[in-house]
Parts: sequence; C-alpha cells; structure tokens
Amino acid sequence: MRLADEFFLISWDTAHQGRPRLNPGTVALGLGGALLAELMLQDRITVRGSELRILSSQPVEDPLTGDLLAQIRDAPQHTGVRTWLAYLAGDAVENVAERMRESDLIHREQSRSLWRIRVRYLAVDFIVCSWPAARLALTLTKREPIGLSGMVLAGLMEATGLFESVVSNPADRPASRQYLDVLLASLPPPYVDLIGQLKAAVGDAVLAYRG
Amino acid sequence: MAPRTNGTDRISATLAANRLGVGAVVYFVLSAAAPLTVVAGVVTTGYAVTGIIGLPIAFLAVGAVIAVFAVGYVAMARHMANAGAFYSYIAQGLGRPAGVGGAWVALTAYNALQVGLYGAFGAAAAPLLEQWLSLSLEWWLLGLIAWALVAALGLMRVDFNGTILAVLITAEIVVILLFNLADLVNPAAGGVATTATVFSPGALFAPGVGALLVIAVTGFVGFESSVVFSEESRDPRRTVPYATYISIAVIAGLYAFSSWAMTMAVGADRIVEFSQKNATETIFVLAADHLGATIVDIARVLFATSVFAAAVSFHNTTSRYIFALGRERVLPAYFGKTSARTGAPRSGSIAQSVLGFTVIVVFAVLGLDPVVDLFYKAGTLGGFGVLLLITATSLSVLRYFARNPGGENVWRRLIAPGVACVLLGVFSYLAVSNFTTLLGVPPDSALGWVLPGLYLVAAVGGLLWGLSLRGRNPEVYARIGLGAKAAAGDPATGPTPTATAGR
Repeated sequence: MRLADEFFLISWDTAHQGRPRLNPGTVALGLGGALLAELMLQDRITVRGSELRILSSQPVEDPLTGDLLAQIRDAPQHTGVRTWLAYLAGDAVENVAERMRESDLIHREQSRSLWRIRVRYLAVDFIVCSWPAARLALTLTKREPIGLSGMVLAGLMEATGLFESVVSNPADRPASRQYLDVLLASLPPPYVDLIGQLKAAVGDAVLAYRG
Repeated sequence: MAPRTNGTDRISATLAANRLGVGAVVYFVLSAAAPLTVVAGVVTTGYAVTGIIGLPIAFLAVGAVIAVFAVGYVAMARHMANAGAFYSYIAQGLGRPAGVGGAWVALTAYNALQVGLYGAFGAAAAPLLEQWLSLSLEWWLLGLIAWALVAALGLMRVDFNGTILAVLITAEIVVILLFNLADLVNPAAGGVATTATVFSPGALFAPGVGALLVIAVTGFVGFESSVVFSEESRDPRRTVPYATYISIAVIAGLYAFSSWAMTMAVGADRIVEFSQKNATETIFVLAADHLGATIVDIARVLFATSVFAAAVSFHNTTSRYIFALGRERVLPAYFGKTSARTGAPRSGSIAQSVLGFTVIVVFAVLGLDPVVDLFYKAGTLGGFGVLLLITATSLSVLRYFARNPGGENVWRRLIAPGVACVLLGVFSYLAVSNFTTLLGVPPDSALGWVLPGLYLVAAVGGLLWGLSLRGRNPEVYARIGLGAKAAAGDPATGPTPTATAGR
C-alpha cells in the first residue's frame, strides 16, 4: 500500500461513516504531504528547510505521483514546500481516493440531499483498511522497530494531530508518545523538514481560519 | 491531479483563485471592530463615565496616528513569520524576552475585551426579550447563554460565515448612518457651537484627555487583524495595506461622525447627562423620536448580534493567540493542540471560556453593573492594553528596520514608525495619568493604578519567563514569535515565501 493511501486510511473512518476523522482542511494538507513523501521515498525529490528540489525526473510507476513529479519539474519557479502543500491540498482527497478506488481498496458512495452532494468513502475490506492505523498503534505501543515509510507515516500522523485517534487508549499514550519522539528524532533531515513544514501549514491554517 | 496547461503557470493560478482581495479583508477587519457595539455601547458609556465631550476629535486623532503606525506595521508584516500577533513584532524588534512580555500583555488585553462583551450582551438582549416575550432576565443569565454559545462555537470552529457577517456589518453601518442623519436633521439648539466644541483640537489638551484616547483606541481594536491574511492575499504588497488603511478610515470616520451626531441631537452641554440617564439605550431613545419603532427594533437586534459576533471574534482571536504560543512551546505544548475533528484550537478555546465563565459569575455575585463595570471597564482596560501593545510594536518596527533596512523606503521604515512611536508614547503616558477619569472613579482610587498595573505584572512576568527560557530551553527560545511556523524547524529560514508573493 502506498504512503498516501495509508495516511488516507488512518485519517478516514472508512469502516462506518465514510467521513474523515480529521477536519477536511488538515486531511487535504496531510495527503499533500504524503504525496510529496512518496516521491521522496523513491528518491525523485528531496526537501531542505522550506525548499523542495528535484533529484531525478526518472518516471515513476504510479500515474498520480508521476504527474506530480512532472508538474514539479515543469514549474522550477515554485520551490517552496508550503506552495506545493497548498496547491496539492486543493484536490488531494479526490485524487488519492480515486487512486485507492482503482486499487479496489475503497468504494465511493454519493448521496444527494436537498442542498448538497455528500460523498462517502467506505472500505472494500474492513481488515485491510483498518490495518495501517492498527499497525501504527501496535508499533508505537509495543515500541517495535519500523521502516522508513512507517516512520514518515508516524510523522504525518503527528503533524496533523492524529496521534490520539491512532493511539486510542489513553493509558498507552504517554509511552507511545515517548517512542514516537524517538522515532521522529531519528528521521532523516529531509523528512524532518517536510513534516515540519506540514505542521506549520496545519498551524497557520488554524491562525488564518476564516469560516 | 489538475491537468497541466501549456504556457500558463497552473500552480500560481490555482493558488490565486483562493486568495483574498481588499474587500474581503476589510469586511473581516470591520467584523472584529463591531461598529454598532462601539457606537451604541462604548461611545455612550464613554460620555456617561468620563463626562468629557471631546470624543469626536479623539477618534479622528487616534485614527490618524494609527494610520501612520500602520505604515510600518504592514511593511514589517511582509517580513514576519507570524504577522497577526503584536508579540511577534516585539520579539523581532525588541528581543525575544520582550516578545513574551508582549504576549502576556496581549493575552490580558484580548481576554479583557472579550469578557466585557458578555456584560454588553446582557444589556443589549434584555430589552428585546422584555419587549417580545415580556421576559425580564438578569444580565448574567443572558451573559451565560451567550457564553455557552460562544464556547460551543469556539470548539466547533464555527466562525460566522463570511457572507452573513458582511450582511450584518453592512446593516450595522447603514443603521448607524440613518441614526446619525436623524440626529442631524433634528438638532438641539446651538448646533454650530456644539460642532466647534466637540471637534476643537483644544479638546485634545483638556484634562482627562487620556481617557478619551483609550476609548477611541478601544474602538479601533481589530484593525490589526488585517495582516493575518498577508500570506493569503492576492498581492501582499497591496491588498493588506489598502485594506488596513481603508478599515482605519472607515472606523475613524464612522465613529467621529456618530459621536458628533449624538451631541448634535441633545446638545454638547447635555450629552453627558443624557447618556448617564439612558446608558446603552441612548442612541435608540434618540432614534425612536424620529425614525419609528420598526427601524429602532431592527437596530436593537443588530446591536445584540453585533455584540455577539464581536464576542465570537475576540474569543477566536484569544484562543488562536494561546494556540500560537503553545505551538512555540512558550506556553505548555498542551495549548498548541487542536481538536482533530474540527481543527479548532481546542485548549486555547477552553482556557478562554473558563476565564469568561469565571468573570461572569464573579461580577454577578458581587452585584456589579454589567455595562459600566464589566463591558466598559474591562473593554477599555483591553483597549488600553492594545494601546500599550501598539506603542511597543511601533518601537519594534523602528528597531527592526534599523537592523534590516532592505526592501522598504525611508518613509515606511523610519519616518512613519518614528512619528507613530513618539505620538503613541504620549498617548500611553496620558492614558496612564488619566486612568481614574477613564474609569470614572475618584482620583485617589486604587483602581487607577491596580488595573494598569496588571499590564506591568504581565509584561515583567513574560519578560522573566522569556529570559528563563534562554537558559533552560534554547530551542524554544530561538522560536519565540514564530507562531505556527515554530514547527518548521530552523528559525533562520524565516517566513516561507508563497507562490505569488514577489518579495
């Protein structure tokens, strides 16, 4: 499963409501960050401070991130991570959901009420869809080793304020939080910077919120 | 992914579509400034408590000085990570410990402004309930109802929808202008003499003028929020400055006009006595004679909605301030948390609501007056705090541009902030020395130094806290004043340039 798909599944209640667990703005920013991180994990781009840089334009397998890579390559004037996060947030939910639908992870339900269309995304297989959050919670509570992609997912979770939703048992939180801090401290610098920029974007959205 | 188009910059275009223009920012500022709350509540109570009639000229004078201050304020906003908050300016200009002092002062001031509104809401809503339902409720009960709604809206992150607010603000301004015209068409005897008296620059040198200046500054609170949208405006070099100057001009003009029109209707010699008798009913009593019951009823409803919208607005301002400080870890990290579900700054919101509840209960138990003691005294105490913050910020702008002169001309980085700094310094001095006049208490009353002293305690406490952070936690210390961007690591990186922001 790809990183943005996993982030989608921990931020979305695909089991019952089909609605996000997080407020929509933060989900969108988090998914934008996850898409950038997918390209980083494939050594196509990297982040330093607040700037994003291309390492290689070699095509990637996945069309969604492939298109993103091409856009980054074609817009060399835009190097700010915050710029890309804001831009990606615009349609990240739809794009990632569509990719997941094509992989048969979720299905889309649309209902129309009087004044608006309501879209719900529901799990095709409940076990598969609840696994990313469950695995992350287990890793944190049992202090288990975790790969780079998992660490980045943990960072995305922390930056978007999903920690308490993932580690749902309050008794587990202090120890898990401690281990999370250890994990995040050992992330390679480009990912630390990406997650820092994401957290700043989430926070600035709180400060400049306008209804 | 959005399809690529040839030639045009798709990223800039997509981002620009969501950006704010001048009009949107002006309406946002005016909604925090709550015009009808100021005209019906602050101006009338100001006349009643201080007994001085120079308010019209005071609004113009304060407006002019704030406009000059705003030149450097919006210029420096372009170089700031957390432009919406005075303490960030102070941290950049006067040092990080002073910045924390500024943050403590700001928290005190905004909280005072917010809780005062619960008293005003009681006064604004009571006549409506009496008239419609023949219900006579205590002010504190109405205040608690408003409090519960504000607390819930704050946690649910419901700001009023921009369109609804714009309609309300426009209606408020229309009603104020109508009332003013009715006052002018039906003047008391001696109109010319009244005009000469209330607009006489000599009024600015009369005893107790510091009180008028604080009342006028209280009316302007909210103008500072324009720069919150620096990063979201269409053109940061134009949108925010224009919106700021337009807002200041509208506020100054509207309040000077309204406070003058009131004196025209009853006469300069009788306005004090008249507003003492009628309190927050003053403008409605005046209008009832000339405009008919329907318009007055609409105006009363708008007064109540204006106070309520202002209470929500200041609640959100305060909880975001607390949130930003939590993100910097200047306050415990707990305060930097948001509600995952709604994205509201949860801990900050709860903290503000706890304070609001406590204040309403204490004032009710002590049997204090909701308008004069809570709304007016807490409100002007908040306005005084904002005056102190603006003064410190003007000094910070000067110091900042003395060290980083790049990109701004001499008017924006030196002359305007310098002039503003001197005049605001004089205003602050006058405010402190006339504090008992402002409160309407005897000159030897302890309140005259206890209330301003709160800010001294807050400033010194914050300063010491900031200094202790330097030794104890250098990482947190380095990020003081960065707001939410404190999370982005290296403070040397500074503000993140946005796509269309040509710096």
